[in-house]
Amino acid sequence: MVHSPGHVSNPGPDMHNPQATCPPPAHPSRSGILPFPRSLGKEEAIHALLFFASIAAIVSVLFILAYLFLEAAPIFPLAGIGNFITGGTWDPTGIPPEYGTLPLIAGTILVTLGAMVIAIPLSLGCAVFTAEIASPRTRSVLKPAIELLAGIPSVVYGFFGLVILTEVLRVTFDLGSGLTWIAGSILLAIMALPTITSVSEDAIRAVPREFREGSLAVGATRWQTMSRVVIPSAFSGITAAIILGAGRALGETMAVLMVTGNAAIIPAPITNIFSPVRTLTATLGIEMGEVASGSAHYHALFGVAFLLLAITLLVNMAATVVIGRIRSGPLPVARRRTDGSIPFRNRIARAMKGIFSKLRLPAIAILGALVLLAIGLSAGHVAAGAILVATAALIQLRRKVSPRIAEKIAFSLLTGATLLVVLILGVILWNIVANGLPAISWGFLTGVPRDLGRSGGIFPAIVGTLYLVAGAIGIALPVGIGAAIYLVEYTREGRLVRLIRTGVDLLNGTPSIVFGLFGFAFLVLSLRTGVSLLAGQVTLGLMVLPTIVRTTEEALKCVPQGLREGSLALGATRWQTVSRVVLPPAMPGVLTGAILAVGRAAGETAPIMFTAVVFSQRFLPASLLDPVMALPYHLFVLATNVPGARTNQYGTALVLLAVVIGIYSIAIFLRNHFQKTVRW
Amino acid sequence: MEKSQSIITTKSLNLWYGEKQALTDITMDVERNHVTALIGPSGCGKSTLIRVFNRMNDLIDSCRIGGSVLIDGEEIYSPSADVVAIRRKVGMVFQKPNPFPKTIYENVAYGPRIHGITEKKDLDRIVEESLQNAALWNEVKDRLQDPATGLSGGQQQRLCIARCLAVEPDIILMDEPCSALDPIATAKIENLIDILKRSYTVVIVTHNMQQAARVSDFTGFMYLGKLIEFEETTRIFEKPREELTANYVTGRFG
Repeated sequence: MVHSPGHVSNPGPDMHNPQATCPPPAHPSRSGILPFPRSLGKEEAIHALLFFASIAAIVSVLFILAYLFLEAAPIFPLAGIGNFITGGTWDPTGIPPEYGTLPLIAGTILVTLGAMVIAIPLSLGCAVFTAEIASPRTRSVLKPAIELLAGIPSVVYGFFGLVILTEVLRVTFDLGSGLTWIAGSILLAIMALPTITSVSEDAIRAVPREFREGSLAVGATRWQTMSRVVIPSAFSGITAAIILGAGRALGETMAVLMVTGNAAIIPAPITNIFSPVRTLTATLGIEMGEVASGSAHYHALFGVAFLLLAITLLVNMAATVVIGRIRSGPLPVARRRTDGSIPFRNRIARAMKGIFSKLRLPAIAILGALVLLAIGLSAGHVAAGAILVATAALIQLRRKVSPRIAEKIAFSLLTGATLLVVLILGVILWNIVANGLPAISWGFLTGVPRDLGRSGGIFPAIVGTLYLVAGAIGIALPVGIGAAIYLVEYTREGRLVRLIRTGVDLLNGTPSIVFGLFGFAFLVLSLRTGVSLLAGQVTLGLMVLPTIVRTTEEALKCVPQGLREGSLALGATRWQTVSRVVLPPAMPGVLTGAILAVGRAAGETAPIMFTAVVFSQRFLPASLLDPVMALPYHLFVLATNVPGARTNQYGTALVLLAVVIGIYSIAIFLRNHFQKTVRW
Repeated sequence: MEKSQSIITTKSLNLWYGEKQALTDITMDVERNHVTALIGPSGCGKSTLIRVFNRMNDLIDSCRIGGSVLIDGEEIYSPSADVVAIRRKVGMVFQKPNPFPKTIYENVAYGPRIHGITEKKDLDRIVEESLQNAALWNEVKDRLQDPATGLSGGQQQRLCIARCLAVEPDIILMDEPCSALDPIATAKIENLIDILKRSYTVVIVTHNMQQAARVSDFTGFMYLGKLIEFEETTRIFEKPREELTANYVTGRFG
């Protein structure tokens, strides 16, 4: 049984085969050779264009990172790296100045941690309810509603926090001021809720139906199936959701700035949730406008931005590692079963084993952190007792109670979480809408502000926001989409592409205030554009560029490889394949990404605060180098600096809300519409 | 004959995916206007080999190739080779039907369009001919503007064949074209192959030995990346030279 590869006979022409010499019969007909014009020049021109788009995107990404680092560098020898990170006093304008960022780091971590403790159970409960329990009709209302809330601009949340939340806290707990750590945490939790809920829900829904059927078929209850099969299978997606939510909380500027009191102190004791705190982002937001270019304070602020970037990077890397470890495990998360694969039961067993062995460490770490925090909180005050009791009850539930009763309890907890989320978000919306509507009039929408915005209208702000957004999208959309097409369709997945993707991801998770700092230092000061429409457009454009690159990439990758092969196999060129076969089905995804970017650009305050906007202006900008008014900034100043402007505050908040939510609704509608029509 | 009898010739073809060698020393000639079947157990390299013939493996990053592959006497892996022209000449039907998310008409018209045909009249004619030649015309002629994804699996696969015929290739590669289809749809495709071979050269990968026996003139048996035996189909099934081939075709392993 030896086979030499050369031992292959040639079926030669000597063998009798009558058909070999027969002329082809009339059927099937061949109507002659097709024309064969191929404009190679066009193909190459497009290639070059896409290449330049990707180079532009990459260069700007690398430039921002390098610029931040270089501007931050001088502070480290000046203040001493150790002192900069561990020093307990932040007083850059004192004599002598002190540059210890420890209180700021502590503030950032504490506020985020508190927010996660509140947001994780609520949003996971809501996600499980929406994905597994809610009827299709309930779901079709709940899901887009929650996604819409992810689009509420942070300054609107901040406004609500300042006017309602801090007041409630002050009165309830009889505090001197409601501007506290806990206020920041609650507000950030509310802001992170939609993100975590929506992404976890997607992950849970992506678990193959076979997994559920396999579990139900052996007599498991729905709750057992959810808790032991579905949720563990969706673990990587849920982790990603939580980290995304934490990232949003970490990077938030305006909302925390408005409700945390901004005292650069470490709470004493560390568990005092009613202490004011100051985050890294808020520090940038407060001090950036007053700093002299090139001073030690200026470099120190870049140092703060650098720290912020490092923390974001750490969080994102943790996410990549966790998700990567789970993906490399035996569980084919959210992948369809192919025929002839391992029998189902084995796969489940292997999957579960893999998940639990990998889960143990992070799970213990997370639980430990939660318990520590819970103990801390109970030492301070309320709530924690309830958390502990609920946790204990849940653990007991598993052991003692019959599966049916456990299911009932679990379902009511999940429903409760969902109702609470809906209630919170409903209260916020109701508050803004009910108080804002009386302010809305034709004069308000078309007039100019008077008496520091207390009366008059907000027309220049509406127009300014539109100008800013149009410019930002005009810059980011062509570059971002071109770069994404180049990265996905024209390059091989090599080290360089991975490096680029890492850079894009890093910038994608970067807090918006860091873009504001970059735009202020580089455009406004170095390039001397002054505070201008142009500087704001470029800053916002850079901010949304990574989002557009990533969403476009994802949309392109969702197009099955089979379609590309099918087209290439017919002799289509690469651009023909991309433009006619890949892009049309990817278009809804690309569009959704673009529209979400528009919504984000319209609602952001931090990046334009020091680059483009003025508080009050009677005229519209005459050129790109004029400053503009913008809705989010107008609301921010009205809410924080103008007493007695309550009506117009609510009016502005409502208009801003309507603009952004309107844009998001279009995105959600488009996506749902195309999801129904495009099928493979 | 003005043209030589063999249309595809490989010499000492080796192929690696990263470190793993997937094809070892393949030397073979594929006869013009005949059906050549490639059989063998899963993972033996049949699909890899067929994807060499239209350079579909170019899409796989880690793939390296050595040796020589000639189509009509021209080296398709030479640096100056025009991969687009090769794929126009060497059509392919995939394992899983992959119609584009367009209408039935647009799926078939796609190839002619990208090759520069714009006249509605010409396109109509090509679409009709191709669908007729793919034995699908009668089933879809009244709903050409419907989405192709609404067709049944067997119809989708014949649509993919029609799409392939519309660019008038010389060679049609079929990568397990019936593996996702039911027996009736399979029979239709097999009949179609029988007709197609009058005007085209067909190379078909199949893990179904009866199918190879039914449709092909020549059969190659592959095992662990090597071409063990390549003969007339009747000979492979009745008097194989190699014991391994005999064991496989009689169902003693596989």
